[in-house]
Amino acid sequence: MSGTVTKSNGWAKSPVAARRRAIDLVATGLSFVATAIAILMLASILWTLVSNGIAGLSVVALIRPMGPPGSHGGLANAIVGSVIQTVVALLMGAPIGLCCGIYLSEYGGKGRFASTVRFVSDVLLSAPSILIGLFVYLVLVAPFGHFSGFAGSVALAILAVPIIVRTTEDMLRLVPTAMREAGMALGAKKWRVVVFLCLRSARVGVLTGILLAVARVSGETAPLLFTSLGNENWSFSLAQPMASLPLAIYQYAGKPYDDWLALSWTGALLVTVGVLTINIVVRFGIRSRKG
Amino acid sequence: MSMMPKTSDPTADAQASAAETPPTALEVRDLNFYYGTNQALKNISIDYQRRRVTAMIGPSGCGKSTLLRVFNRMYDLYPGQRAEGEAIFDGVNILDRSLDLNVLRSRIGMVFQKPTPFPMSIYDNIAFGVRLHEKLSRSEMDTRVEDVLTRVALWKEVRDRLRSPAAGLSGGQQQRLCIARSIATRPEMLLLDEPTSALDPISTARIEELLDELKQEFTIVIVTHNMQQAARCADQVAFFYLGTLVEVDAADRMFTNPREKQTQDYITGRFG
Amino acid sequence: MVSIPAEQPSLDVSPIPGAADEAFWHGDRLFRLIVTGCALLVLLVLGGLVIAMGVGGLKAFAAFGPQFVVSNVWNPVSNEYGALAPLFGTVVSTLIAVAIALPLAFGAAFWLTAIAPPAVAEFVGSAVQLLAAVPSIIFGMWGLAVVVPFVAHHVQPFARHVFGHTPGLRWVVHGAAFGSGLLTGGVVLAIMVMPFMTAVMRDVFMAIPPMLKESAYGLGATRWEVMRRIVAPWSRTGMIGGVVLGMGRALGETMAVTFVIGNSNSVGWSIFAPRNTVASLIALEFPESPAGSLKLSALMALGFILIVISFASLIAARWLLREKSA
Repeated sequence: MSGTVTKSNGWAKSPVAARRRAIDLVATGLSFVATAIAILMLASILWTLVSNGIAGLSVVALIRPMGPPGSHGGLANAIVGSVIQTVVALLMGAPIGLCCGIYLSEYGGKGRFASTVRFVSDVLLSAPSILIGLFVYLVLVAPFGHFSGFAGSVALAILAVPIIVRTTEDMLRLVPTAMREAGMALGAKKWRVVVFLCLRSARVGVLTGILLAVARVSGETAPLLFTSLGNENWSFSLAQPMASLPLAIYQYAGKPYDDWLALSWTGALLVTVGVLTINIVVRFGIRSRKG
Repeated sequence: MSMMPKTSDPTADAQASAAETPPTALEVRDLNFYYGTNQALKNISIDYQRRRVTAMIGPSGCGKSTLLRVFNRMYDLYPGQRAEGEAIFDGVNILDRSLDLNVLRSRIGMVFQKPTPFPMSIYDNIAFGVRLHEKLSRSEMDTRVEDVLTRVALWKEVRDRLRSPAAGLSGGQQQRLCIARSIATRPEMLLLDEPTSALDPISTARIEELLDELKQEFTIVIVTHNMQQAARCADQVAFFYLGTLVEVDAADRMFTNPREKQTQDYITGRFG
Repeated sequence: MVSIPAEQPSLDVSPIPGAADEAFWHGDRLFRLIVTGCALLVLLVLGGLVIAMGVGGLKAFAAFGPQFVVSNVWNPVSNEYGALAPLFGTVVSTLIAVAIALPLAFGAAFWLTAIAPPAVAEFVGSAVQLLAAVPSIIFGMWGLAVVVPFVAHHVQPFARHVFGHTPGLRWVVHGAAFGSGLLTGGVVLAIMVMPFMTAVMRDVFMAIPPMLKESAYGLGATRWEVMRRIVAPWSRTGMIGGVVLGMGRALGETMAVTFVIGNSNSVGWSIFAPRNTVASLIALEFPESPAGSLKLSALMALGFILIVISFASLIAARWLLREKSA
């Protein structure tokens, strides 16, 4: 800070430099605004849900089934229906997704069949979910003449499978080849190596995929419209039309009855809290495992 | 615009400028550097002589690359990394937080370990840096490009394909392009971080020859793993070990008669 | 669920138990058969989906021919159906969504990769990804409760005030201020797909070799100049891939759109007018379409067209995202 040294004019800021700094500043500001918009939208959605949905959140809503306007109906049958259908979807989708992921990672390699399966799984991942509902309607509803919870579960399973396939394959690929070779070298059969070594060491990641699939599937409405249809009453039989939370929300939202409207917001709040909780747990779990 | 103002009579020019400008280009005093809480450089004080080549040697992790990256504030890109102390360049402490980094980096250029051609044409690779700092007409830019490519002995090889992607050049050519790109913004100092470690022996030899040419005009600091390279190119050699500067001396003295035991052990290959 | 037995005797045991259950398992061959079968099942599902739509729509395609795609009629009384209006609504709402989401996603990805300190980027990035996890029906309800009134009371009056007498734009802002319409649908879709695009862009921006960025900084470039001149060109195909991926989502979205687009089967210039999309038309009309009817077949035909468009966009996205890694 003595100032004894001489400075050349090389440090002088040219007008070009000032302009470039200004542009950089503007770009930085705009990019911050873009990020802030995303966060604001999330906040707005959460705020809308909480402020509209919290009022209807009561014991009545949680223990009484749906009913006509003014009858103090709840959402209990829809919640139970959602849980049943999601669990059944998972019981079907998880083994298929796991096996398919195992095939892609351990058996298929870079072959043409495996590449095709991989691509098709990706296509299914972003296929319009309403078309999956329509497809299941054609296959499982129309031939039997009635809607069913089972058909809804199948539609949800079709949505869940590609998510599980993707994560299972990715996670199995992270298992070092040395571990497979070590297992083989002990004389273990390949399927034992795959199931008891590879799958076990990748289990956290695989479980993550399954949880994400649950989160995705449990908020889906469109594939259920033409499959499980919804039900005003308690329904535990998979062979009958079955209620679910997203369908209840869809049915009640935008209706002129205040109690239905309130219930639809409460349902929306419940679904979102559930789905986001799973996502937060999964993200937190992954991060803490990495670190 | 004369094309090559400084290369007409290099020796006379260098002598003349040595007489009128101070011999030290960059003066480092008590510099400490931290990666988070981990101190990577301890109380470094060293002078870099104007228009000379200073080689920084030492085993991996000794801090020589870290020090190099301090000089154009590359560490600013990474939160948690910070430097304390003084590094005086042209009368200014370049560690000063308020310094305009874009100006600093246009005055102190850097070349990296691996060639890093930008995903654009050969011509645009060189024009990229120039356009940031100067507004040149088309013909001025053409002249500048030809000038720097000639200086790195690349002009004859690429004059017919200036518009083709730089990625199509060989590794050695790419590295010379990167040097040309750095000198195109007319810096005073050039930092080279193991510039030949990814190159074959022939390309390495050409880069070393090039350094001899470039020191007529630029102050050069080169980090190298290769002791022979340091002996061949450098006027001054600094030996670093575990984040400290063990010894700095003229190249011939350092390699024939090092003062410190550690330096001797390293250059005779006993560790590192 | 995935019930891997906790302590199954595995490798530390001699291979004899393995040999013993071979008779039951047929060892590796059975396992291989099972997993290959599951892989095949995935293929069959998609194949079945496409074929079912195609076959289901056959009746409508046969009845209307190529006219189906360009006809604007949707009349259950006269039993005449055309795909133009829903296709128009689908494409335009998706284009609006991409036009809004693209700059937002680019900005957010730039901020998250180049500007924000890593800890903040990690946190904010996770929050943005949470937005992607919100179920689509929630976007629909939120759109109806928040975006629709906002468009009706602020955006449309403002747009009409500014452009209402501009010759070229007059018809674009024309119409009653319902709040629900093409623009609202596009806005809600944009917010829905923006996190996907941000995630892809963030990944491709991070994949650029750090030395390349440092070289550009080393020449004195600012963060924006590095982004614009080096990172963006370098990751262009990846970015386009991400955009197309988001577009594919917007094309097939049902619930978020159904609530806010107004559901009117029409074609026109105004971005404020109620329109329709393929997915929302299917959702609304299906309950009133008896099995075997021409109307149901027309819906299937629409579904078939939608799935073809969405596959095409996905194939394009994959092709673009792959090129870089090869």
